[in-house]
Formats: sequence, structure tokens, C-alpha cells
Amino acid sequence: MVATNPYEVTSAEIFEIIDESPTIRTIRIKPAKPIPFKTGQFIELTVPNIGEGPFTPSSSHSIADKMDVTIMKTGFVTEYVHKTKVGDRVGVRGPYGTYYPIDEWKGKDILIMGGGVGMAPTRSLFLSLLDRIDNYNSITFLAGARTPNDMIYKQHIDGWRRIDKVNFLRSVDRVPDGEKWDEEVCLITKLLNKINIDPQGNPVVVCGPPIMMKFATFDLLKYGYEDSNIYLSMEKKMYCGIGHCRHCVIGKYYACKDGPVFTYDIIKNEENIWE
Amino acid sequence: MIVNAQDFITFLKKCQKESIGGFQQVIVPRRSSNPEEEKQYLFEIIRADSQPVLDAFRTIDPLRSLFYFSRENLIPVDKTKKRLIVGVKACDMAALQILDRALINDDFVDPMYQNWRELTTLISTDCTDISPSCHCTLVGGKPYNDQHYDLNLSKIGQTYLITVGSKKGEELLNLLKKEVTLAQPQGDDKEKVKKSRREIELRLNKQNRPYERPNQYENLRKADLENWIEDAKNCVGCGGCTNICSTCYCIIVNDETTGAEFVKVRSQDSCQLNGYARVAGGDTPRPKMYQRFRNRYLCKFDYMKSNFGAIGCTGCGRCTDVCAGEIEFRAVVQKNLQLPKGQE
Repeated sequence: MVATNPYEVTSAEIFEIIDESPTIRTIRIKPAKPIPFKTGQFIELTVPNIGEGPFTPSSSHSIADKMDVTIMKTGFVTEYVHKTKVGDRVGVRGPYGTYYPIDEWKGKDILIMGGGVGMAPTRSLFLSLLDRIDNYNSITFLAGARTPNDMIYKQHIDGWRRIDKVNFLRSVDRVPDGEKWDEEVCLITKLLNKINIDPQGNPVVVCGPPIMMKFATFDLLKYGYEDSNIYLSMEKKMYCGIGHCRHCVIGKYYACKDGPVFTYDIIKNEENIWE
Repeated sequence: MIVNAQDFITFLKKCQKESIGGFQQVIVPRRSSNPEEEKQYLFEIIRADSQPVLDAFRTIDPLRSLFYFSRENLIPVDKTKKRLIVGVKACDMAALQILDRALINDDFVDPMYQNWRELTTLISTDCTDISPSCHCTLVGGKPYNDQHYDLNLSKIGQTYLITVGSKKGEELLNLLKKEVTLAQPQGDDKEKVKKSRREIELRLNKQNRPYERPNQYENLRKADLENWIEDAKNCVGCGGCTNICSTCYCIIVNDETTGAEFVKVRSQDSCQLNGYARVAGGDTPRPKMYQRFRNRYLCKFDYMKSNFGAIGCTGCGRCTDVCAGEIEFRAVVQKNLQLPKGQE
């Protein structure tokens, strides 16, 4: 009777685990069948008999037979994600929602701002852009974390910085005793003072904790970016992922179906967008 | 066609007992068995000794709860049954149209809801009475169905005038004809129906006159926050209003996988509960009760209107009946649709 059941789950096996920080881990999974997605879209990841939650893959969308998902330990389900072992089974349904329109960004100078675990979805974007780097004029990545230990993807930074057309800046809010850091110490938004991009007509992508997204958006507007070129990844409580549970509603929009990627002009007049 | 009311009930009982037409369940409204709720009605599966009340006004339980149960398996999907639901009122039917748009749309289909919808035949009846909380006419509705039913019954004395609304209804009428002798309507039967309908509408209009309001629902979000704080004072946040609402369909999805096969279950949720929109890490956009209280009104009159082209209130009044804080829904809407001074 029903052509496709949107709740059908694809089984996947964890083949590698990378602990990126004390609270953030990347699980690398191999699904039983490929899961093609477009960067910016999210999946619902099941930990069997525990629960499921929405996560944006952190791997390139050029790869469908494997997927990286970077997850912060911050609630019930994620607690269990951090207890998984190589060989464990998880489930994936999706992908759902909107994506970054990277095919429309040919010839552009692209700015990406990723704060904390918000670097995960933006890494997927970054890697997807790198796969077609000839299409773009430049890619600037501003990464922020609270402390050096909280900064993720450290092992990849040197490689990424060697890529022509890529400018990768990092900052931490503070350096606790005993931790080493020789890059910027400031809020991520202050890194905007260190770059020189023409904001007119160029896209910027922001993902991070709500407070960072809020102030980054305001600073980007001041910098000269147009609100229709500021792409925000709004990750509300997306239980079902298909616009049926209403938990993620932002006014008339569903974060899961009309988002999670919104341009600021679309949602700026809705309530509680930063909370 | 005209059917004798008693003959029709006998037919319904036979349908249930002998699975006529393949129906596995015939569901009808009955009077509440609580003596203090003599004028309240509930859906039940018809039995040999049932005394259905097909007319009167809407049941305590929303029709929605027969299509979208408080807990159902999504994968693997639960079993469904071919059903006949009788005595459906216009407010509930209107709600079903909204749920159809929410749950069976071009993007995604809720598998269980769709199954129940396809396997159910709906016989609606005109309201012949009103409850003190009924206010369909205040939200643009009527106390009778003029569309969306399979069959509609309008009471004329001890008989019903039958109107066919769909192919499913036509099939059911053919079954009925085999079991019961039907009569042709008399000259003024249709006039009698019009008159009864008009009488109920007048009663509703009179009852709701104190709650009349400008229906510019886009103004609701501009209402003074102090109003909402005041209105929510008696709200205990139980979620009764959303659980009994004819159009609320918020759910949570849980994973209950224990073996090789994934198991997903959905359960009813309420935006009035504190944890509703809370994300991992503990942030929530509406930590205060008055914010959640206000959200329910905005969802009904603003967000759902944008989403489905119709407001999410069909005027059944169940939320007022169920409210532990005795909050009068109509009064809150009326008050908050009056713009603050200077913004009229």
C-alpha cells in the first residue's frame, strides 16, 4: 500500500572510531547499501534499542558507500555513541533536508565558519568543495573551539593548509594551563578581521553553537555579506526528519524539511531562531 | 434515500457480527457510562447490546485518535483493519483534512496513518445538539458535513436522509440496500434537513456571540506578552489540550530494536511539556510555561495556516473541556486577537 516507508533503516557497521577530543568522536560507518547525500543534508542515526538522533555527515558527499559522522557527547543517545566499538551495528535513515548549493558557487570565494562540533557538517562541505576545487576561486575556513583540546580534526590541518586556494585559520577562546597553542586566541568571529574577502555576491556558511551562529551572522552582516548569502545550518530537535513530528518547527518552517540549511533572509523574521 | 434509524443500527450490528462488506470493526459513538457525564459521548466498537448515539454532538475522544493512535509501530508496521466509523462530526472531518495534508503529502507519508485512512469508511452525521464548548461556526465551520464523507446521514424524525459522497459510500449503500428496505425522500424532507441544520447553526452563533473576534490570525503573534503570561497562569502544563485536540499530531520516534530487525515506534507528544523542543545539551527555545502555552495558539492559528492553508482549530472545544486549569480557549483567542494599543 505504501510505496516507501520513510522510517526504513539501513543497517551500517562501524569500521573505525576516531576520538577527536575528550567529548567529540568520529565514527566511520559502512552502510549495507550506499547512502548518497548532498552536503548539508542530515541523517537519523540509530543506536539500536537506545534511540536515534539527527546528525550531518562529516565526510564528502562524493562518497556514498562509507560515511563519517562526528558526534559530541552531550545527551542520552550521544552518550551511547561514545560507548560504541569497532564492529558495532548502527542504523541510518535519510538523507533529509536541504543542502548547500555548491554547484551554484562556481568561481566564488567561499567562506566557512565552523565552531566546536559545528566543524563536522562544515568539514563535509569543505571536503565536497575540495573534490571540485577547480570550480572555486578560493576557500577560507575559520575554525573555532573553546580550548586547544576541544579543537577537532587536528590530524588533517597540515594537509588542508598545503592545498592551493585554501586558507585555514583557527582560534580558541582560551588556553588552559598545560595545553599548547600557537594560533589565534580569540572568539571565532574575530577571525573575520584576519581575512580579506569581497563579501558582495560570495557565500558564507556558518555552523556552530546557537550563540556563535547569532553573533557570527551579525558580524557578517556588518562585514558586508548579504543576508541571502549567509547559509545557516539550523539544527533543532528533529525527531522524525520528515516534517511529521513538528518538534523542529521554526514558525512556518520545518528545520528538517525546509532546512536544516537556511539562508538568513528566509528565517530572520521568525521567533527563537537562535535558541 | 431514507433509512429507518433503528434498521440502520441493526445493520451496523450485523456488519460487525458477520463482517458484512469485509468490515472487521464498526465504530460508533455511545453515551458515557459516567452518570455525571450523561451528555458526553465516546467511540466504541459496536456490540449486540450497544445503544449508539449517532447524532447529538462530537465525542469526547477526537476522531484523530482512531487514525493516529497514541502509540504505533512504524517499522515493522502494525496490522490494520477494515473499518466503518459512524457518527463522524464536521469538526472532526475538517481536522482529518488537515492531518491528511500533514501526514500524506508529496514528500513523505506516514505509513500507519495512510493505511488506516485507506481502510476506513466514514459515515458522518449532522449535529443535532451542541456542547457548551462547541464553536465550529466561530472558525468558519458548520455543524454538518457537506463534503469529505463517504455517506452522510441527516436525521429526520426517526429516519435518516442518506447522501452519498464517494465510491466507498456508494458500495456501502449497496450493501445496506441488500439488508434493509430504503424509502425515497418525501417532498419536504430536504427542507426539514435544511431547517434542522439552520437551527443548530443559530444555537452555535448565539452561544459563541460573547467570543466573536476579528479573524486576522496573523495578529496573534503581535499580542502583548503580558497577556500570555496572564492567560497561562492557570495552566499546569499537563498537555491534555494537545492530547485531545482534533488536529494535534506531534509525536516522538523511539527506537526499540532488540534483534536483527530495526523497530521504530511513534508515540504522542505535547508541545506543552518542558522537554518537547529541548535539544541534546539541554537548550530549549521555550523554557517557560507561558511560552509553550503561546506556542500552541500560534501553531494552530499561524504556523498551521501557513503549512496547510487552514487554521489548526476546527472549533470542537475539547481543549476547553479537558483543561485542568479551566482555561477557556475561545476567550484566550479573542483576547489575543485584539491588538495592543497603538497597533490597531
